[in-house]
Amino acid sequence: MYQALLTRKYLTSKIMPLLAMVAVTLSVATVLITWSVMGGFLKTLISGGRTMIGDVALAWPNVGFAHYEDLIDRLEADPQILAAAPVIETFGLVTLPSGRVEDVAIKGIEPESFDAVTGFMSTIWWKPLDEPVLKDTQRIDPRLIEEDRAVLGRIERQGRELRRADPQTGRPEIAALIGIELTGLNRRQQSGVYLPMQPLRATSSGAVTYDSVFMALNGAIRITVPGFDTQGQVIDFSTERFPVANEFQTGVYEIDSKTVLVPLSALQELLHMDEAKRVARSDPFEEFDGGPGPEVVGIDPARVTTVLVRAVDGVDVDAVKAICDRVYADFSRAHEGEVPLPLDMRPRSWEDLNATLIGAVKKETGLVLFIFGVISFTTVFLVLAIFWSMVSEKTRDIGVLRALGASTLGVAWLWLRYGAAIGLVGAVAGVFVGWLIVTNINPIHDWLGADLGPGLSRAASAVLGWFGAGPVTIDLTIWDPRVYYFVEIPREVEPGKAAVVFVVGILTCLLGALIPATRAARMDPVRALRFE
Amino acid sequence: MSMTSGPPILDVTDLRKTYRLGRVDVPVLKGVDLAVREGEWVAVLGASGSGKSTMLHLIGGLDRPDRSRDGPASSIRYRGRDLAGMSKGDLDAYRSGDVGFVFQFYHLLPELTVLENVVVGSMIRHGRLGYMRARAGVRERAGQILSAFGLGDRLRHRPAELSGGERQRVAIARALINQPRLLLADEPTGNLDRETGAAILGALVDQCRQMGLTMIMVTHDQGIAESADRIVHLFDGRVVERRHAEAEGESRAATA
Repeated sequence: MYQALLTRKYLTSKIMPLLAMVAVTLSVATVLITWSVMGGFLKTLISGGRTMIGDVALAWPNVGFAHYEDLIDRLEADPQILAAAPVIETFGLVTLPSGRVEDVAIKGIEPESFDAVTGFMSTIWWKPLDEPVLKDTQRIDPRLIEEDRAVLGRIERQGRELRRADPQTGRPEIAALIGIELTGLNRRQQSGVYLPMQPLRATSSGAVTYDSVFMALNGAIRITVPGFDTQGQVIDFSTERFPVANEFQTGVYEIDSKTVLVPLSALQELLHMDEAKRVARSDPFEEFDGGPGPEVVGIDPARVTTVLVRAVDGVDVDAVKAICDRVYADFSRAHEGEVPLPLDMRPRSWEDLNATLIGAVKKETGLVLFIFGVISFTTVFLVLAIFWSMVSEKTRDIGVLRALGASTLGVAWLWLRYGAAIGLVGAVAGVFVGWLIVTNINPIHDWLGADLGPGLSRAASAVLGWFGAGPVTIDLTIWDPRVYYFVEIPREVEPGKAAVVFVVGILTCLLGALIPATRAARMDPVRALRFE
Repeated sequence: MSMTSGPPILDVTDLRKTYRLGRVDVPVLKGVDLAVREGEWVAVLGASGSGKSTMLHLIGGLDRPDRSRDGPASSIRYRGRDLAGMSKGDLDAYRSGDVGFVFQFYHLLPELTVLENVVVGSMIRHGRLGYMRARAGVRERAGQILSAFGLGDRLRHRPAELSGGERQRVAIARALINQPRLLLADEPTGNLDRETGAAILGALVDQCRQMGLTMIMVTHDQGIAESADRIVHLFDGRVVERRHAEAEGESRAATA
């Protein structure tokens, strides 16, 4: 009881415990921010990939494999499999309206089945919005414009169907869906909203002109891909123009800047992976001479490089892999000699496919947490030093308490309780500060980069100018999406992590208070009473 | 104060205490014998360093006497129980329940108010749950004692806001709150001017009489010692003189 009374009095009448509280607050907030951002980075990386491949991919790259419809039927027959989708994944070059040529990942998809596996339709960007996105307080998002709702609705449908009506003829054409960062024509604002820009061109006279282009309305790209035969040999390179149906945003910069989606059938045709007749060798002039032409001896079925699989919610990825292994083994037996062997066809998750990157991020997260943990551990010594000093200051009070009958354990508990109280207040404040910073980390970062950095640059340049030195640039932009994959810094605080950091913050304080508490408890009461 | 004629409430035999200063052993008490009866007020006189405070600390269970190597062991018997045989917990209970300390320099806890300084002893004695149950009674009793000391309107004041005499009154109230049987006062007026000291002593003796307490008071003041039932002189770690011999003390008791 007296411990509670004295703890309350010490907390409200001393400056030193406030310093300890500040130390705990800072260390708790630092660790929570680090863990949240790095953990969010990892989580976004994994979930962002899921938008592209679902849970598991069965892939036979470049050459592809046939009878994929049968494989999909077999997979979807399993109650734990929600959907499966055929996809062609290849690489190629894309020529943009500005004339720039980029290397990209090109995916051939069937929109409905691909959406069932990945949910990609939710990533389609240009569509009418009823409410602004969270940070768009000034409502600058062009998707909110009431007059454009009909057009935006049409553009959204284009994205869903991968078709666009020709602006001149009105005839529907096969179209592409491109990542929103690909063209460089969408300027991302601090609020996360994109504003479409016009592509600039330098003329021979030195002037700059621009084309009136909005990709989803009248923009088009040219795609160049290498075609392979069934033996994996490059036959030729094919180039085709694709109108742009819409643009998508997954939030993973690497995907949004390097991916083009086109209809599966179009890519199959372009890559010579569509169904083809197999003919016998014959005289090439026979057909021109009015003969029956070469004899058809069989059909080469259409091929895809990948089948993506999505499991029912709650099914573990390893379980999905096991199902895919089993189903593919049956499928392979049914089409022996026509499809790759099960040993060669390992189902792989997004994490497997990006094991190096994700592993590196995990290791980096652990390392950063370890470093900040060690730094935060100095709080233990700070609390220890502060408590040691306070115990010295309160030596006579300890003697008085012992004279009044307080036990050694009671005196120790007084200081431990005091440490716990400081830890509790510091940890609560630390979690709050951490949460506040993490949830506002993007505006804070934008302010650092856009306002504080240039402001400091101007001030530093002015000061250095007095000494004859040139201007300096202080760039406080830390999060470059081209480096960190994501357009936004992850800003989610997981309650579990907050709870762990909170408890560790209190334990840190208790640990720091332990030695001074032991010292107080072991103090000779007679000497303590005589202490001056 | 009155004395009873029963067995002594405190019986100290061959009390020895040696402190180690650096590499040198300094014997402070070299075999003190003292018996104190219930309700008796014993004044302990002696020069600085004669071991007066040490003796109080040993009697109050704050310190342990030397362990005997050859001869008979030092013994402090309180109501027949040897303090040497008590566990740490028993000694804590002894200090909180049976003994009250009053120090020369008051030793109030500066962060607590007057009332809190008084009830803190009760908090220690009763523990959390016990104090919660006894809280109202304890606070009422603390208020009564403090009012008797003229501090009824200073309950929420901090020690820094009180005069020396007022602080010592608070310290005495703290010593009395648990209704101890034995009051150990270490020069309670030593830090006060004569007038205030006399007032404090009067208040202290009044309370002890009302409660029937036994008091051992260390003092340098011969005049104060003269007021006690018995005076014990400590010289060179031993009791060398007893004034107010037992018979004299008993005759006092008879006239009381």
